[in-house]
Amino acid sequence: MAVFEFRSAQELGRIFEQHGVKYLFFGKSGAILLGYSDTTQDVDLYVDKQKDNREKVVAALLELGFRLTEKEQEEIGRGKVFIQLRNGPFDVDLIFAPDGIERFHDAWKRRVEKHGFPIANIDDIVGSKQAANRRKDRESLPRLLSFREWLRGNK
Amino acid sequence: MANLERKPADWEDFEAAAKRSIEQHIRNSFVHTYKPVLDDAEYRSFDSMEEYRRWCQENLPAWLGYSRD
Repeated sequence: MAVFEFRSAQELGRIFEQHGVKYLFFGKSGAILLGYSDTTQDVDLYVDKQKDNREKVVAALLELGFRLTEKEQEEIGRGKVFIQLRNGPFDVDLIFAPDGIERFHDAWKRRVEKHGFPIANIDDIVGSKQAANRRKDRESLPRLLSFREWLRGNK
Repeated sequence: MANLERKPADWEDFEAAAKRSIEQHIRNSFVHTYKPVLDDAEYRSFDSMEEYRRWCQENLPAWLGYSRD
């Protein structure tokens, strides 16, 4: 398994843009692109769940080198809400309805563009972790909240 | 003279990270660590976040922290 690198992010950004995919870097990986210092393994992508966007994301993933069977392509296109991919150049979680966010459109309006990547607003990343309320979220929230405070002071 | 405006300890990390190139920052941040069960399948899909959370609760080792307990 190759680790996600800057060139992976660039490749993802380029191919997703080429296919017109509407998505946001999300979760801890999104926070990292905003400057957060921590470690993670996978890339969380919040993807607009509109049918045409789902079809675009399938095409983009195939071009990126993800090995998707016909059944998996059909599932991504059909309406699954959370998809975990470990069958490509790096690990990706596709999230179509994250905890704590009602509509992609709202998160899109609040997004931040940094290094050329569309990234969810830190408030949405924090809010989603608060809503998910897993033990690992509760443990990581104080540092993430501290980062949000720091980010606000450095705008 | 005493520093009356002490920064939270985390902020030194964030300031240091901000000085690194994005290439280096990503290299430092994305690391592959094997997570039992979670990484044992190439593909998983769920119809709802609730179904995903339930699957995590029932199948993943507690120490991974995916449980809400």
